[in-house]
Amino acid sequence: MAGLELLSDQGYRLDGRKATELRKVQARMGVFAQADGSAYLEQGNTKALAVVYGPHEMRGSRSRTLHDRAVINCQYSMATFSTAERKRRPHGDRKSTEMSLHLKQTFEAAVMTQLYPRSQIDIYVKILQSDGGNYSVCVNAATLAVIDAGIPMRDYVCACTVGFVDETPLADLCYAEESGGVSSLALALLPRGGQIALLQMDARLHQDHLETLIEAAMTACKGVSKVLDEVVRQHLQEVSVLTGE
Amino acid sequence: MVTESCFFRTAETHGSVSCVSPLFQSVKCQQQHVSGSPAVPMFSTLKDRVGEVLLPGDEFTCDTDDTISLTEHVKPEKVVCGPGLRRSGDRLVVCKSGVLRHKQPNVFWIDSQQRRYVPAKGETVIGIVTTKSGDVFKVDFGGSEQASLSYLAFEGATKRNRPNVQVGDLVFAQFSIANKDMEPELVCIDSSGRANGLGVFGGGGLLFRVSLGLVRRLLAPHSEVRSDLEQLFPCELVVGMNGRLWVRSSSVQQTLIIANLLQSCDTMTAPQRRELFRRVKQGVL
Amino acid sequence: MKDTPLANCERDFLLKAIEEKKRLDGRQTYDYRKIKITFGTDYGCCFVDLGRTRVMAQVSCELVAPKENRPNEGIMFFNIELSPMASPAFEQGRQSELSVKLNRQLERCLRNSKCIDTESLCVVSGEKVWQIRVDVHMLNHDGNLMDAASIAAITALCHFRRPDVAIQGDEVTVFSPEERDPIPLSIYHMPISVSFSFFQQGTYLLVDPCEREERVMDGLLMIAMNKHREICSIQSSGGIMLLKDQVMRCSKIASVKVSEITELIGKALENDKKARKAGGRCGFAESIPQERITALKMEESPVEMMDVTERANDIVQKAEAPPQTVPSPVVPVPGVGQVGQGLQNTWGLEDDDEEEEEEEENGNRGEEQEGKASKMEKYEKEESRGGDVVEISDSEEEEVVILHPETSDKAPVNTGSRSSSHQKGAAKSKKK
Repeated sequence: MAGLELLSDQGYRLDGRKATELRKVQARMGVFAQADGSAYLEQGNTKALAVVYGPHEMRGSRSRTLHDRAVINCQYSMATFSTAERKRRPHGDRKSTEMSLHLKQTFEAAVMTQLYPRSQIDIYVKILQSDGGNYSVCVNAATLAVIDAGIPMRDYVCACTVGFVDETPLADLCYAEESGGVSSLALALLPRGGQIALLQMDARLHQDHLETLIEAAMTACKGVSKVLDEVVRQHLQEVSVLTGE
Repeated sequence: MVTESCFFRTAETHGSVSCVSPLFQSVKCQQQHVSGSPAVPMFSTLKDRVGEVLLPGDEFTCDTDDTISLTEHVKPEKVVCGPGLRRSGDRLVVCKSGVLRHKQPNVFWIDSQQRRYVPAKGETVIGIVTTKSGDVFKVDFGGSEQASLSYLAFEGATKRNRPNVQVGDLVFAQFSIANKDMEPELVCIDSSGRANGLGVFGGGGLLFRVSLGLVRRLLAPHSEVRSDLEQLFPCELVVGMNGRLWVRSSSVQQTLIIANLLQSCDTMTAPQRRELFRRVKQGVL
Repeated sequence: MKDTPLANCERDFLLKAIEEKKRLDGRQTYDYRKIKITFGTDYGCCFVDLGRTRVMAQVSCELVAPKENRPNEGIMFFNIELSPMASPAFEQGRQSELSVKLNRQLERCLRNSKCIDTESLCVVSGEKVWQIRVDVHMLNHDGNLMDAASIAAITALCHFRRPDVAIQGDEVTVFSPEERDPIPLSIYHMPISVSFSFFQQGTYLLVDPCEREERVMDGLLMIAMNKHREICSIQSSGGIMLLKDQVMRCSKIASVKVSEITELIGKALENDKKARKAGGRCGFAESIPQERITALKMEESPVEMMDVTERANDIVQKAEAPPQTVPSPVVPVPGVGQVGQGLQNTWGLEDDDEEEEEEEENGNRGEEQEGKASKMEKYEKEESRGGDVVEISDSEEEEVVILHPETSDKAPVNTGSRSSSHQKGAAKSKKK
């Protein structure tokens, strides 16, 4: 691992990107008929499906009902074939439970839950292929799905991971970079207000570098938001053409 | 500079522990003593140990003699025993640890520093409304289950005119039903339909918890803690028998001070407390 | 069992108090509660009290086969147990959201930051390595479990000694502590988590929230750092919107707090080492006769009780020059009186009055025990405090008492066992 040079002297990364360059983002909205909202998103080699049901009546334990806002229920799972080594359990282990929790938290901040008291919104996300930045890809896919479901949000939530190598922030890490011992920071941003819905950082980083890293992450998130914006616009255009307006 | 006043809000029915009737059971000791035999009646044995710390398992027995006097008629002795004392056959068994207390003429009970509240009919408690369902509010009072409080059990409430109670509000209410087989029931009116201090309250004050022992000390007729507190600030204090206190004072700071003082009273001896109160008073006046 | 619901009035009051920069226990915005670190009889057993929050950490080790992809590295395992003992809200046997969150955060804080040299835990490459298990048990929940857990875990790791091993050919011999002295783990750095709670959409910020504050807060930000000002992990939780500036401010506060706590841990470890060397009694059992484990005990007094006269003199000297200029005019609220010996009092000041009050409580007890000397001491302290309060706008002040379980014979004979426990062990760190 240590042998890998994550950033070459010329400023290129392992997969040939520049430091601040994002991976290619491709997305489709409304991929399923059954769900209230759905989206498929690829970010480089990481692929995720997101499905949204709701807002609907509380299911399961009614005791979780909140009388002033909607409950957001998230489930994150990774397909057993998504990683190089076959996964035994698609969900339910500590890491995926945590990821579900983080997704829930992110969308609680972004979705206007107070409009739907005593109801529930389900967000199911599945990683089909994992190549780093799972959390951010899930958030981006889920945002599109929520928009597709027509649930009001304060803003897009865009997420991105950034790493820090040789005093340079690297945007949108891939798996090789993530596992290469880079200190990485995942950030979910509401781009318009510059508000951070979730911030998570691993590994050691000197305090002085924090600001540059957050700055880089925010820029990257704004980049993602532009792409998502385009996807949504295009989707709406297609839909309106189909419905003949 | 500070007016020494302390508004107390307790329902009238509530004087001291002695009137909490269901907790007290009377024990009649039908003992007939033989004249001349040194039989010790239970009453005096109990009386001897008033103020002592007793532990569960301690016993009081009537020293009955085998022979029954036919000539002399002995009046049956009656002892009323309260929380912590239980009758088992002809013995009286202590079942809580604490100090034995006595009230004239023949009431005995164990004063324990319990923290979990067990409801008793007629006691007034501070409850938190947790749900509104149909005709009743569910109220959490810190006991084993929630109590129900009918919306008609407020002063002036009718089917048309419902009281304005929100989830999370505090109510000062009295138990109308409290026994081990039924769901406890609260009311916010006395028998004549008056509120009499009961009802919804709690804007701007702070709720906190103390031990049940301290609550009883506060509610005792000549409470030292209360008189000490009266010297400090004007404040409004609601004392629930379930160990909840609610305080409101003119400022956040004063409210906090009172809350902290009362909470620390739990573990202080009387001289310590007086000293503390004296100093706080000095500091504030 | 269900937790007690939070009444509306409590919520309103707490928020109002926070707006007025007042906290329930008289702390200031950036103050930690008192941290107390005690050690058990065994190596690797540590109790941390953070105000009324109490956690226990126990480190244990065993020889296991390493993971396939890392044959030369020992295995670290962390577990936080939320026992129903700590709070009625915790349920047995279920992985609640909170427990997942805490467990992952602790893992991230300690494992991912590589604070322990796992390669040194390798005995035979690919065959036998040490597995170090850190079990953190919550004993009493009064808010901020994460910080308490992280302090307990890292202190226990520092305190832990693993048995020595020798390899002869294929044979691995594990020596008992009698045969060879056990070996401490090699620890690179000590990450400590600091929690910030946000109120009113992030308008107000508090460090080290207590349980009631946690109930009304909007969100939480946990920053784990070491004393070299390296951030080991950041995690935000609860649906709050943070701004970048807030994060930066929090990280600055965190670095101060972390250096204080690290120093405290260092001191606690040192004290324990001395106590063990001296052969004094130590451990949990020892804390029972000293009434350190009962709920009815009072808050430990922050008043230094060692060498009372000496210290008092010292403080008098310092306090004799009160600040000549007050940065901003202090307008005391009506009803301000004087405490102490005729210096400026702090009751009416915006910030410090509750602290003062607590001080008084504590002082009071101290006085009961110590008689006049401590009374004087207390007054001196108040004086010096009064000075402090005016000088600093956002106090980074913290008072900590470490009690180490050494039995001292200096304790006055007439005082109760409780007081004796304070006197000797009280090593207090007060910094800015």
